[in-house]
Amino acid sequence: MSKNRVIGTLVALALLGAPLATANPFFHHLLIMVLFSTLLGVAWNLLGGYSGQVSFGHSAFLGVGAYATMLLHLKLGWSPWLGLVFGGALAMAVAVPIGLICFRLRGPYFSLATLAVAEIVRLVALNWESLTAGPQGLLITHLPELKLFGQAIDWETKIPFYYVIAVLTLLGMGVTFIVSQSRLGAYLLAVREDIDSAEAAGIDTVRTRVVALALSAALVGMAGGFYALYFRYIDPDAVFSVALSVEMVFIAVVGGIATTGGPIVGAIFLVTISEIFRERFQSGHLIFYGLFMMVIIRYLPEGIWGRLRFLLRLSTQRA
Amino acid sequence: METILQSVVSGVLMGSLYAMIAVGLTIVFGVMRIINMAHGEMVMLGMFGAFWSFTLGGIDPFVSLLIWMPAMFAFGMFVQRFLLGKIIAGGELNTLLYTAGLSLLIANLALLFWTGDYRNINVAYGSPPMRPFGISVSVPLAIAFVLAIAITTGLYFFLSRTDTGRAIRATAQNPDSAALMGINVARIDMITFGLGTALAGAAGVLLAPSLYLYPTVGEILVVKCFVVVVLGGLGSIPGAIAGGILLGLVESLGAVYVSVAYKDTIGFVLFLLVLLFRPSGLFGAGRT
Repeated sequence: MSKNRVIGTLVALALLGAPLATANPFFHHLLIMVLFSTLLGVAWNLLGGYSGQVSFGHSAFLGVGAYATMLLHLKLGWSPWLGLVFGGALAMAVAVPIGLICFRLRGPYFSLATLAVAEIVRLVALNWESLTAGPQGLLITHLPELKLFGQAIDWETKIPFYYVIAVLTLLGMGVTFIVSQSRLGAYLLAVREDIDSAEAAGIDTVRTRVVALALSAALVGMAGGFYALYFRYIDPDAVFSVALSVEMVFIAVVGGIATTGGPIVGAIFLVTISEIFRERFQSGHLIFYGLFMMVIIRYLPEGIWGRLRFLLRLSTQRA
Repeated sequence: METILQSVVSGVLMGSLYAMIAVGLTIVFGVMRIINMAHGEMVMLGMFGAFWSFTLGGIDPFVSLLIWMPAMFAFGMFVQRFLLGKIIAGGELNTLLYTAGLSLLIANLALLFWTGDYRNINVAYGSPPMRPFGISVSVPLAIAFVLAIAITTGLYFFLSRTDTGRAIRATAQNPDSAALMGINVARIDMITFGLGTALAGAAGVLLAPSLYLYPTVGEILVVKCFVVVVLGGLGSIPGAIAGGILLGLVESLGAVYVSVAYKDTIGFVLFLLVLLFRPSGLFGAGRT
């Protein structure tokens, strides 16, 4: 327990100090994208990693969060940061009926159903023009002023955004850690290993999975709110895309499923490579996502972090 | 009346190509229990094959079928032998994730080499359309329809009449018993995946003169084909054909009588309903 606390403190300190290392805005952008992807991976992992339910439709929650944040600000004048939290809650509320429907299906059938749900949500967002402005998208030109300790935060630089996403990511990792130590975590693992046995042991497998999906959706919804405020522009094809759903899966799997630290390793690895690739070439920056997915599934099914942790344990046992 | 006839005709034409792609997806699932997320990219490769042989070599896209169908068959065998074949033992979710990786890899390699530009093939007979009975039928799409039926029928006879075809069906029913009967299951897996890939590639070649082509076109097509195979029952060939025609009709009639904007949504809603209430497919032929 104390070891975990030490690791947690170290990670938090590293996160706090990271942007001070350089004033290069590209580096700051890279850090933000790594943390954003980490948060997505962490959230997906909560359901996909622990309970083995491979969702290809998580962008639905991201889009709901992003649109909620944008619309509450543009139409009702809410503070976007309050909107971000509300976006998470709304994504959570949307996740419950989706879960109750899709969890009637198992394995790959569940995955296909989530894919269809996300596509339906995307098409609705694309065509409900009176609310979402359709393919035109929504734009925030100016973020309202926010004061911290009497000092106005400068949203034109990237550093405040970094701290927002760092807090959200830590929240996501904290939730994962708590779940993994709790009864819910044990139930989820039981569902993953053998759903029929879990059912026979008296676990309400639908409720268990719906709770995990709701937590996961809330985190993704807040990430969506962050996306909207960081880029200040969203449209249905950007936030509801299959590509985003798939990205979350890849980060969690490459990093190591069902681990607290896996997604951060996966995100550092994949996002850094793809962003550097994007700087050099016009297109095709997801090549490495595909390549690493294939290599990991074949040679390292426990993921990079999973393998590192295993090796570390071996070496400490020997010493 | 003419509107109905027109949308039924265009629905069936498009549906025949959905059916062809879906048959490829469904035989791979039937034999190996793989849901091939990279199937759409195989269609995309077929489209680009036809594009390049037309643009660089001046070969008519429908003639280039003779090159690209065997080439895609070989590519599929290669993928199965050296990549996918090593994963199958890991279970359905692993192959699902693995083919998702393959899909992203192929699509992004295509983006890198061919860029994301929209391209099209302008064949001389592309316009004007034929006008039988006052309805308008695009000539390339009509040729594609005839060839799709010919190829799908050919596959049907291959599976029902030849020894290899029987071995494929036996493996689909029960791989272990098939192996005990002396069938080389690994070889059958390769042939099946090759066939599935060849069908997808051929459908791509056939579609190339009628659609815009770009590297991520497969993403949309594969999702539609999941809808088709689930409608018809996963693993069932007649189901995939019927499902393909059905989706084509739903889309074209939906565009006229419901709304253009929501025509794709109808397909997905149908898909969810079938998954939930009739998981063996509308015709009850698939496996649950």
